[in-house]
Amino acid sequence: MLIEFTLNYQPIAIEAPPDVTLLHLLRDHLNLTGAKEGCSVGECGACSVIMDGRLVNSCLVLAPQAHGSEIITIEGIHAPDGGPNDLQENFITYGAVQCGICIPGMVVAGEALLMRTLTPTRTEIRTALAGNLCRCTGYQQIVDAIEATAVQRRQAS
Amino acid sequence: MTELQYIGKPARRVDALEKVMGKAKYIADRKLPGMLHARCLRSEAPHALIKKLDVTPALAVPGVRAVITSEDFFEHSLFGFPVKDEYVLAYRKVRYVGEAIAAVAADTPEAALAGVQAIVCELEPLPGVFDMEHALDPDAAQVGPDRPDDQHPNFLDLLIVRQADPLAEIEQCAVKLDERYSVGPQEHAYIEPEGALAVPTREGGVLVYAPNQSPFVNYGVLAMVLDLPHNLVRVIQPPVGGSFGGKDDQIYQMSAQVAKLALLTGKPVRLVYSREESLISSYKRDPMHIRIRLGADSDGTLRAVKFEGLMDSGAYASESTFTAWRGSIHAMGAYRYNACAVDIKCVYTNNGYYGAFRGFGNTEVCAGIEQAIDELACAVGMDPLDFRLKNCLHVGDRTAHGQILTESVGLPDCIKTVRRLSDWDRKRAAYANQTGNIRRGIGVAALYHGTSLGAEGADYAGSTIAVEQNYSIDLTSGLTDYGTGSRTVFTLIAAEELGVSPDRIHMQRPDTDTAIESGPTVASRSTMLGGNAARVAADNLRQTLDYAAADLLGCELHQLVRSGEAYVGPDEEPVAWERVVDHAREMGLALSAHGKWTAPRIEWDHHHGTGTPYMAYHFASQVAEVEVDMRTGVVQVVNFWAVHDPGKVIFPQGAYGQVYGGVAQGLGYALMEQITYTNGYLQETNFESYLIPTSVDVPEITAQFVEAPFSKGPYGAKNIAEPSMVPAAPAILNAIYHATGKRVRDLPANLERVLLGHDLAKGGSAKACKLGLKT
Ligand code: FES
Ligand code: FES
Repeated sequence: MLIEFTLNYQPIAIEAPPDVTLLHLLRDHLNLTGAKEGCSVGECGACSVIMDGRLVNSCLVLAPQAHGSEIITIEGIHAPDGGPNDLQENFITYGAVQCGICIPGMVVAGEALLMRTLTPTRTEIRTALAGNLCRCTGYQQIVDAIEATAVQRRQAS
Repeated sequence: MTELQYIGKPARRVDALEKVMGKAKYIADRKLPGMLHARCLRSEAPHALIKKLDVTPALAVPGVRAVITSEDFFEHSLFGFPVKDEYVLAYRKVRYVGEAIAAVAADTPEAALAGVQAIVCELEPLPGVFDMEHALDPDAAQVGPDRPDDQHPNFLDLLIVRQADPLAEIEQCAVKLDERYSVGPQEHAYIEPEGALAVPTREGGVLVYAPNQSPFVNYGVLAMVLDLPHNLVRVIQPPVGGSFGGKDDQIYQMSAQVAKLALLTGKPVRLVYSREESLISSYKRDPMHIRIRLGADSDGTLRAVKFEGLMDSGAYASESTFTAWRGSIHAMGAYRYNACAVDIKCVYTNNGYYGAFRGFGNTEVCAGIEQAIDELACAVGMDPLDFRLKNCLHVGDRTAHGQILTESVGLPDCIKTVRRLSDWDRKRAAYANQTGNIRRGIGVAALYHGTSLGAEGADYAGSTIAVEQNYSIDLTSGLTDYGTGSRTVFTLIAAEELGVSPDRIHMQRPDTDTAIESGPTVASRSTMLGGNAARVAADNLRQTLDYAAADLLGCELHQLVRSGEAYVGPDEEPVAWERVVDHAREMGLALSAHGKWTAPRIEWDHHHGTGTPYMAYHFASQVAEVEVDMRTGVVQVVNFWAVHDPGKVIFPQGAYGQVYGGVAQGLGYALMEQITYTNGYLQETNFESYLIPTSVDVPEITAQFVEAPFSKGPYGAKNIAEPSMVPAAPAILNAIYHATGKRVRDLPANLERVLLGHDLAKGGSAKACKLGLKT
């Protein structure tokens, strides 16, 4: 079936079987491999994308459900010049990246939170990340990076 | 020493940019034209004879291109180190649920699954061994291979440490302890499931991309089981999405499977596991049953220890004999004793299989001994932190193995620092005698952890370095960075040695065609071994450049100084580093070098249980503060302090990250990570049942470093990756005891154990496992 939606601010139309997940649509049909498959059952958050402003696990969304929606993936998150944005830069500065497999999901989850609020407490940041598993970092430097970005964006606005 | 420019200063991780942009290509992200998809037929029985295996019906399935079994490999695909008892694909027998029996390559994943389902495989069930306590019963079914001696075939190894007669010594002690502890299995739960991709080469060989820990081990196994000359095998390391000891044997099996399928079909073949397949078929941390006897004088002087451990190796040896050895060396903890005996026995069963996992035996024994030490301190009537401080190892002390520690022992400082940071004394008093439903407690654990392989084997690493046309520098290592940050560590060390900016350096991932064989990437050995190799390589290159600079500036070598990257001679005019490079080229000098570093030789006497097991040790002390809900048994870790002596911190953000991540894994091990085999069938087959700590389970962690440099480490550095995890679990368990007054001696301390003090009888079935293998 034909699925039409906005992907990373660009309209897109793609023919896909009705039973594929949004994650597979992105990875196998659109060649966007930033979202990762860690569990396929909605537990790890490695497949996180932003759908109509909300953080979702793309492994739990059927591709046809994306019809008419606005989707932002990690490939749509960057500075205007294509380099890292402030959040991504802070992930690097604060040492928030280890193996990196969860990191696209973490960046997406961080952006989804910062779209809602620029004054999150560390506890609120942790709650916002609770659906994103990381086995390497113990989360602390990821929280540091998101917190620092919130402060910077607050000051800039 | 002149001031360091890059070592110990904030730095950017070399691979962070591609990872935060979502551009890093992990194995599952790599697709090649014409690539086939592989899938394995796996055993649904814990122990059985393969009565019939007919793959021809699978070959008739549309889209299936090839099917392989153990018959397609040299010696039926037998491999394994140090014990050769595993197969790439099962031969004649299966020994655990999930063991691979055949592999199919097909045009699509769906066709591969249909192919697997078409294979005719008849298994004749054999009695299984599911309780390690009965693995050596005379009538226990044979799981392990035949033995040349008269030992039970399910006996794998016995590792000992001996110093005097601890039981006689304990007899004379005023305060004694005799307790039993247990630790359960733990899953690595890297967020990237395992995978491998093989590409046939024009010469008749194979190129394998695999997120393995040790590409050169993979390379050796591939050449052996494929019966190919080494020059026709090449392994390239893509980014690895976490490993923690888990991407060894399993990845070598997968690599050999896809390599054989690629050779047969002439096409690239990729195999990527689902989470269920990963959990069911991969090895885990070994469970251990522990009995500890301790004795001390009434003034709190620790005198003797006897430690007995029984360790399950599961269906295969994997790394268990090494794990048990490291466990035995650390089983008595970082204390002085007059007498010590350790016996750790490992046995075969049909409970999946167990292998390497962060801490490698020390995580298991530390959970036991650090609780026992706490209990003994209580019995003496001493504060457990004071008790540790009184008995812990200092420079000049003799360990229970007979090794004199001549340098780099930061333990007393670690304990004192963690006491101060955690506000130990005040909280310890404040939380005594609580009565409410919500109670707080604070607990401590101390640690030592031997650096690198120790007496396990030859311990060396190599690095190459070269200046490229554009003045960038290519650096290689034979060791893998699976997330730990070792590539950044090597980069910083090379930059410091050469006196150039780290931005110039391109630290490559290992490729067996270009990197130097460096042994396995295990045992937290990268910083010391790989770091020293990078240091030697960079130093060799620097000597060439210094020589060229002296020639260019018309001075003696000793007259050269550096100003940033530039060279300065007696006339004090700085000359850019690039000009020195140009001049070296004009002189015809080779601007490439390699470096090799070999650890000092050490000896361990396995028969007498004495010697020098490791050249140096990491020391640490951690404190956990918990809140226990007495009505539900819920434990929340509310604060955590970790003070570590890694010798020298090279890459600070990386070192802190290791500590935070290690503590989080230790927290999971202590409280929630439960692996259950019911008659050999795993019950936890995805993350909805195998729970690992989330961002709300892990508290804010305060980490600090005490640097007691080791003279042979690069810039004094020792190790950090594994030790950061090891003491976390016992610190948490000791805190639970402080809060509740009740000991939970079995890990994980789940709700039932904390609330009721025992397990609830739970059923289990083969269902989840069988389903997991079919989806
Ligand atoms: S892959 Fe979607 S939540 Fe794990
Ligand atoms: S960085 Fe490895 S899982 Fe998060």
